[in-house]
Amino acid sequence: MSESDRPVVLIVEDEPDVAETYKLWLRNDYEVRMANDGNEGLELLDATIDVVLLDRMMPGLSGDEMLDRIRNRDLGCRVSMVTAVEPDFDILEMGFDAYLSKPIRSEQLHETVENLLERSEYDSVLQEYYSLVEKQATLEASKSNAELEESDEYDELKSEIDELQDELSESLGGIGDDADFIATLRGLSNGEEE
Amino acid sequence: MYDLSTALEFDALSSVRPGTSLLVAGPAMSGKEALALDVLKEGARDGEGAVVVTTNDQASAVVDEFRTDVPDLDDSQLGVVDCRGDSGGSDVDRSGAYVHHVSSPGDLTGIGIGITKALEGLHKSGRDDGRLALVSLSTMLTYTDKKTVFKLCHILSSRLDSAGYVGVFTIDSGAHDDQTLQVIKQAFDGLVEFREQNGARQARMMGLSSQASDWKEV
Repeated sequence: MSESDRPVVLIVEDEPDVAETYKLWLRNDYEVRMANDGNEGLELLDATIDVVLLDRMMPGLSGDEMLDRIRNRDLGCRVSMVTAVEPDFDILEMGFDAYLSKPIRSEQLHETVENLLERSEYDSVLQEYYSLVEKQATLEASKSNAELEESDEYDELKSEIDELQDELSESLGGIGDDADFIATLRGLSNGEEE
Repeated sequence: MYDLSTALEFDALSSVRPGTSLLVAGPAMSGKEALALDVLKEGARDGEGAVVVTTNDQASAVVDEFRTDVPDLDDSQLGVVDCRGDSGGSDVDRSGAYVHHVSSPGDLTGIGIGITKALEGLHKSGRDDGRLALVSLSTMLTYTDKKTVFKLCHILSSRLDSAGYVGVFTIDSGAHDDQTLQVIKQAFDGLVEFREQNGARQARMMGLSSQASDWKEV
């Protein structure tokens, strides 16, 4: 896999030692970019970034403020908050996709990033599934049963739908735990899966 | 396996796989909401957990109804997510049923949190089997579009699947166009349809077995 094909993780962390440690853990699997604070993080933000690890407590622009900016810009990236205290589900209500409580171990960090990437995948499969289901309903509403039986397009659509259905039911990765479930629903209200 | 045929007698309902979600569709006042709640009450009589997500009824009314109809109900068996939006937050009903208030039927995050906490409570009290009802999708469709409701149903079904629960969702078939109903249906494993015919109430069952059942009076 070439460098550019790898998922991109942006680390926004004001403690250089901590940021370096995360990078060391992640760099074999992902392209890692680093920002020292929220302002620098905003400058580095673009559509190529898949996952942001955001320290909540930073001088200058706080993690919460930066999250707002990310959501306002409608970037498809997933954001995990990194915090010193164990938060409640409320944190997911604020718009974070996941949280990590310090101190973080390498394994946890990998799990979280992997999980967020899977969730993005789940969202896009669900979106595709919906589009096909809608197309099918439109065809069914506009054509007679006899016409549908004759239609190759309809046949193809039905088998594509079956395939996606299997894919969705197999990949519970999208909503493997409570945080996934709530964050996925939050994504629906925001329309951010678009 | 769950036996839902005690609430509505169809063969296909007598042995329903955990994780199955059903859509109950019918015109207004056709009994679909009563059916959804009956399915939960039947389970509760056998000691299963019950979660009611309601957009129409006050949580306390739901709790009272369950207490009346299921005399042996243990309060730790019941969770209610009240989406009518007249008060916020979570509380435990006077005698222990878990109640969560959500700001509006369009607040999907709040609904998700309510369901999560209700499932957590049931799990803690040892209710590993249970049933969830959402009444009704029609109200949700007035707050958000069909794409969002479709995805919501799909995500809830997956969550119920991982909890080993069964789900029953109601929709008013007279309130939406055919295309919308057609799309929403696709998010479910099975469909129970109600209709009025010559003054009689009829139902049929589709999706859980290879053939749709015939219409029959209920």
